Amino acid sequence: MPGLIPASAVIKPAQPRESPLGLTLRALLRRRSSRIAMIVLGVIILVGLLAPFIAPYDPAAQPDIVALKDLPPSLSHPFGTDPYSRDVLSRVIYGARLSLTIGILATIVSLTLGVAYGAVAGYIGGMLDAIMMRILDAFLSIPRLLLMLGVLVAWPHLSIGALVLFLGLTGWFGLSRIVRGQVLALKHAEFVTAAQALGASRRRILARHLLPNLVSPIAVAATLGVAHVIVLEAGLSYLGIGVPQPLASWGNIIQDGADQVARLWWMSLFPGLFMVSTVMMLNILGEALRDVYERRS
Amino acid sequence: MASPLLSIRDLRTYFYTESGVAKAVDGVSFDIGAGETVGIVGESGCGKSVTALSILRLIQPPGRIEAGSRIDFEGKDLVTLPDEEMRNIRGNRISMIFQEPMSALNPVFTVGDQVAEVARIHAGIGRKKSWELAVETLALTGIPAPEERAKQYPHQLSGGMRQRVLIAMALIMKPALIIADEPTTALDVTIQAQILDLLVHLQKEFGTSILMITHDLGVIAETTSRVIVMYAGEIVEEASVTELFARPHHPYTEGLMHSMPHIGHDQERLNVIPGTVPSPTNWPHGCRFRERCPYSWDLPEREHPPLYDVGAGHTSRCHLAREPQRRNHPHEPLVVQEGVGAA
Amino acid sequence: MSATARGGNGTAPLVSVRNLKKEFPIKKGVFSRQVGAVKAVNDVSFHVARGETLGVVGESGCGKTTTGRTILRLLEPTSGEIYFEDRDVRALGTRDLRALRRDMQIIFQDPVSSLNPRMTVGAIVREGLTIHKLAEGAAADARVSQLLQEVGLRPEYATRYPHEFSGGQRQRIGIARALSVEPKFIVCDEPVSALDVSVQAQVINLLEDLQREHNLTYMFIAHDLSVVEHIADRVAVMYLGKIVQLATADDLYREPLMPYTQALLSAVPVADPKSRKERIILSGDVPSPASPPPGCVFHPRCHHPAKDVACTKIVPPLEEKTPGHFVHCIKQPPTTVSWEQQKEVGGVHPPERYLPLAAVHA
Repeated sequence: MPGLIPASAVIKPAQPRESPLGLTLRALLRRRSSRIAMIVLGVIILVGLLAPFIAPYDPAAQPDIVALKDLPPSLSHPFGTDPYSRDVLSRVIYGARLSLTIGILATIVSLTLGVAYGAVAGYIGGMLDAIMMRILDAFLSIPRLLLMLGVLVAWPHLSIGALVLFLGLTGWFGLSRIVRGQVLALKHAEFVTAAQALGASRRRILARHLLPNLVSPIAVAATLGVAHVIVLEAGLSYLGIGVPQPLASWGNIIQDGADQVARLWWMSLFPGLFMVSTVMMLNILGEALRDVYERRS
Repeated sequence: MASPLLSIRDLRTYFYTESGVAKAVDGVSFDIGAGETVGIVGESGCGKSVTALSILRLIQPPGRIEAGSRIDFEGKDLVTLPDEEMRNIRGNRISMIFQEPMSALNPVFTVGDQVAEVARIHAGIGRKKSWELAVETLALTGIPAPEERAKQYPHQLSGGMRQRVLIAMALIMKPALIIADEPTTALDVTIQAQILDLLVHLQKEFGTSILMITHDLGVIAETTSRVIVMYAGEIVEEASVTELFARPHHPYTEGLMHSMPHIGHDQERLNVIPGTVPSPTNWPHGCRFRERCPYSWDLPEREHPPLYDVGAGHTSRCHLAREPQRRNHPHEPLVVQEGVGAA
Repeated sequence: MSATARGGNGTAPLVSVRNLKKEFPIKKGVFSRQVGAVKAVNDVSFHVARGETLGVVGESGCGKTTTGRTILRLLEPTSGEIYFEDRDVRALGTRDLRALRRDMQIIFQDPVSSLNPRMTVGAIVREGLTIHKLAEGAAADARVSQLLQEVGLRPEYATRYPHEFSGGQRQRIGIARALSVEPKFIVCDEPVSALDVSVQAQVINLLEDLQREHNLTYMFIAHDLSVVEHIADRVAVMYLGKIVQLATADDLYREPLMPYTQALLSAVPVADPKSRKERIILSGDVPSPASPPPGCVFHPRCHHPAKDVACTKIVPPLEEKTPGHFVHCIKQPPTTVSWEQQKEVGGVHPPERYLPLAAVHA
């Protein structure tokens, strides 16, 4: 009889094996915009990481507060010096380190909170979900910037750790909404029902089936979140209530030259350029990620 | 003999994807006469829907109809027709009924408005006149209380009713050709029966030609007069419906017929066509069905079979036409080599 | 051997369901007040015998999928009894229910959404082994390979992700997952509906082979009558949450006494252009399960010549017309709802056997 051969003999392998992560990376590298974004971000991160080795001067050193202050860019000080005679290039390099660290750490805090809150509300559902969502609505109705100004004006000498925590604590509301929505949708996916039918516990379903499928929206939110925190931190530092002196962050370098922007243009131009390109590249990357994921589903 | 209504010659529609050129439709030629119902049957990925979309030039990038393809319709070559004129043909002279009635309707307009819009675009008639015509056409499709129904939104109608609305949209301009792409696949069997009945009835009443695209041989047998079987981007067999079912020639057609269970003829085990459809970016050389074929033999030069004439207006893309005695000696199909095609 | 003989008498059934109901509340407004209920499964009783395949057919919204999931308690029933062997499924606590899931499995319709896109095929098939502590380490790897081979896939596929496979192959992965815990009973929820005809045949043959080798019992849910006829020993036809006919596959297709079954059978397009058969075209659509018609749920669309007022007043019992052949119709004789009772509520046509040729597939 025709057609009676073992199916295993004719079922052919598809493309070579590739994990979802590998696929995503490849898709990102294939696009020109996200490729450039990844390269630029890679360079800035590297600069931050290697700051002690590549910074020409100590960022906090004030060698000669009279003779060496407010120097325009020159060979010995490519980005010029500030009113305290500190080397702006070195401060921008160290600023990359601090601004990125604050951005990443604060985002980790808000991701953890946002994912946990959203996943619990979405997965357990019912009354608990309703209560948790109303609480979230209340949080969301507080303007983040006003809250920050209030807190930071009341406690102006927050340590870096406290600042990170504070930025993280106020940044998870939107994400937890997204996560809740995704969990609600995924909860009824057939593969979740299948796991339930296999006898999987709730915890297992959440950890093995729901959360891994949230990687895409979380990755997008994280990328955009880091960009957002960097801008916020710069804003707060610019207002003089963020990163305390003599530490360098992009925001407070700009602040150091803020009263004479026209004359000390190098003091806002160079840190500004670094910050704008970092934020822009993060946003481009976030959008590209979103696009890649949407295309796949 | 009068020239056919639609005449397709060497249609090639290729998709330029990241993983290569997918030759979804690869050299398809056929005719549809006035008032004729022609069926295209095949499984997913065979190119039947792309053929339909190509006729209306609804292929989106990265897809493209290749130069050298011809689609002659009422004295015009649709492949080279300016966009403006093409828009005049769509919904007017050739209309289409889609598989998914919900997504083919706009949720924010009433169904009457959507049917009337077709007439407003093509007949240049006013709001009131087109609405009357829409209600009249909805009545033709067997929608009860069409005046009231016309004022409803798509989500207020059942799947069967929505499909009737789509048929009304396709019918309102009295087109010369209706392309129905799996018009009943999304419907339940009793509703499918209603819709097929309606299509056959309307075809008789208006003499419209219908191109019926489906994977279901039952639908083909009940609605069409001539059948085209597609596999791997090509036509592999064409015959009148009675001839095809009585004497299927191509082993793929035979396999399809034998792999479906029939009510009332219970067999112990279903016949299967082993393996899977090859990838459109990499069709096999020679006969594209060879690796899954129970009769295949090694032709010295792996010759690509032409459409052989096997009599009674019946053509088949199978070398068995040359060596019919081989049909008596089926063997187990060749085992496919690794890496050919994709899942 | 007739399937009824296997099912009804002799050994105790594997699964038995009595008066099962599942309602989904319809909620409205800010306070989610319940304003009604969709009666998805409305008082059904049946059993599945060891080793048999019970087919369940019906159109969308008839409650067939809900019935399957309620038996597995993937949905909580509103009322009724479910027994698996001698265990009262509804009374089981979380722990016992999880243990029971080793014995009862499900295969899904959608080959895309039923596999977790973030897990490898190996991890998917292995999960059941881990949950029920059936094997770990190298032994689990070996078992996964064996399972993949059993469903016609290469063991190497264990390291790949679902998106690399075709619909038919994905369906095989889902079958391997169900088999991993060595179940006795599998609910097959439209397992071939999304597949092409030729692939459909491959999967049906596989399911039949596995049933033979592992002595499995199936509840096979489908909307395609020809597939069900092929695979099932007995068939239940559902309409608006009720079983309206239950018989051996042979009896059902030879003698479709329920008018709805007649319409279903006659509606199937026949792949034979010479058989220009008559067709019973049902008028209208299926009514909403939120407000099913009173009396017989099928009466608004029924074409039985003896249909009358009695059909709108009396809920027909699912009664045995010939041995093992149950039909939900007071107009098909014999019936326990006597003609006198029917006349009392206004009936004018006495019951009369009706079996149009259009419905019979010789």
